[in-house]
Amino acid sequence: MSIDFWINVGVLAGIYGIFTLGLQLNAGFTGLLNFGQAGFMAIGAYTVGILVVDRGWSLWLALPAGIVLAVLAGLFVGIASLRLRSDHFAIATIAFAEIVRYTLQNAAFSGGNQGVLGFDAEWRAVSDWMLPWLATIGLGAYTQLPLFIVVWLAFVALLLMMKGLQATPWGRVLRGIREDEDATAALGKDVFAYKLQSLALAAALAAVAGFFVALNVTYLYPTVFDPTFTFFGYALLVLGGFASYGGVALGSVLFWTLLEGTRLIETSLSAGQQASLRFIIVGVFLLLISRLRPQGLLGNVNEMRVRP
Amino acid sequence: MSADAILEVADAVKDFDGLRAVDGASFHVERGSITALIGPNGAGKTTMFDLLSGFARLNTGTIRFAGRSIGGMAPHRIARLGLVRTFQLTRVLAGMSVMDNMLLAAPSQPGEHLPSLILGPRRARAAEARSRADAQALLETFGLRDKARDYAGALSGGQRKLLEIARALMTQPSLVLLDEPMAGVNPTLGRAILDHIAALREQRGTTFLFVEHDMDVVMSRADRVIVMAQGRVISAGTPAQVRADPAVVEAYLGSASPETTA
Ligand SMILES: Nc1ncnc2c1ncn2[C@@H]1O[C@H](COP(=O)(O)OP(=O)(O)OP(=O)(O)O)[C@@H](O)[C@H]1O
Ligand SMILES: [Mg+2]
Repeated sequence: MSIDFWINVGVLAGIYGIFTLGLQLNAGFTGLLNFGQAGFMAIGAYTVGILVVDRGWSLWLALPAGIVLAVLAGLFVGIASLRLRSDHFAIATIAFAEIVRYTLQNAAFSGGNQGVLGFDAEWRAVSDWMLPWLATIGLGAYTQLPLFIVVWLAFVALLLMMKGLQATPWGRVLRGIREDEDATAALGKDVFAYKLQSLALAAALAAVAGFFVALNVTYLYPTVFDPTFTFFGYALLVLGGFASYGGVALGSVLFWTLLEGTRLIETSLSAGQQASLRFIIVGVFLLLISRLRPQGLLGNVNEMRVRP
Repeated sequence: MSADAILEVADAVKDFDGLRAVDGASFHVERGSITALIGPNGAGKTTMFDLLSGFARLNTGTIRFAGRSIGGMAPHRIARLGLVRTFQLTRVLAGMSVMDNMLLAAPSQPGEHLPSLILGPRRARAAEARSRADAQALLETFGLRDKARDYAGALSGGQRKLLEIARALMTQPSLVLLDEPMAGVNPTLGRAILDHIAALREQRGTTFLFVEHDMDVVMSRADRVIVMAQGRVISAGTPAQVRADPAVVEAYLGSASPETTA
């Protein structure tokens, strides 16, 4: 039980790591407060689910389609609201994520609160192919281990890609915008176009995370993509540190270890009280970090500011 | 106007809710000149720079740069045409290294665009190496070579001013607008900046329009002087002509005469 439990924590850490790479790109490297990341994740996941179940698409073709749709949503949100002041943009992204959730709850195509079920047969086949192979090294008993491996391979690959991208002249323009968008425009950079690219890329990462959420929970329903999940992402950014992709990995592992590990604490509290206690413990930890190490564990104190 | 004007402003008007900051200003800047823009506090000089660089929109009037109308154009487009400005309140990118501040300003870097970055990474790297050499040379000139790796936020006020000017020059502009470039810079360094500006004008034919309150600097370094007061251009000509213009003396009365503000 205990190893399965921690494998599942690892899966969550990997998925939310991918999710938060996008937030790091936006908030840590572009100075954009994107609070709608859960909405992009939902669009990616539901596109995959609906295309497979209703349209009979292959899961593997539905994934890129989900990414494309999330990117289009990112472009739409960006074009509609990136020219607003930065705080208005942040509010617009929250509104977007809420609209996505209400739509999924109430629309016929998304199955309403019943959700979408039965899209993961092709993944099961891959997983069943991996398990005997894992059994040869004595790990065949852990049914979530294949997902853990695939999620972390994807997370590490995407993390390295984002790190590489950030080190290019393209990434430098984003940092310029984070520091001072007028000064960056005065040097001939099309600030709006770069913000749009940053948001679209974050939406793509959210869609990939949504794909893995779908495989993990095996059926999609709106509360899985509650807009508050975006704030889990920001919480782990605070832990791991702004303007550091390594910090996303560390922050995600730490955040989910804290949040899930606290389930194991034996208390005489009711289930509801115990659930609150877990968030209190995480909250206290966040406060301590932001007090003792405001830039986060791996963050860069010189680059942490999200400027208006 | 003049045949070799790089910049022509006609009847420019800019209102800020009720307050008319620029009130029908007209002037031109000659190509390859070092021109000073002077005037008492609140005359509208910075607002004029904002209009020229696209950071503020004209209410009425026209601005022509290198023969094309740029009134209402976005700041980044104007900058790419070769008209670059610095800010009166220095704006360095504090959370980036001094070198990155410079490299960000390099013109036509293919690595800044995702398609050309992915399709031609080698071309992007080559461009980056060239830019780095250019940036080194400029930082050397401005006495910032040893600071290249430091965060720009760690520089002193004067050094930030220098970095902002060096960064503007890094874009290889044809017209540079400098808003009080000497303010807060020590006099020795200030002279070095002015020497460098004069040298760039000689070598590359770069045009400079600068706002400056120090009349010694204006009279000794500028080929032409444009005088603004209360949103209008009240005089323009050689330093000697402007100094002798009764309208200029009158505009400065009540504050100080142009000769003594130094
Ligand atoms: N954004 C703004 N909103 C409202 N009023 C403004 C704004 N910018 C400038 N002004 C006003 O416009 C007038 C011209 O200001 P401006 O900054 O252009 O003068 P300046 O010639 O640069 O002065 P200084 O020598 O002090 O820098 C001033 O009265 C100023 O208060
Ligand atoms: Mg001014």
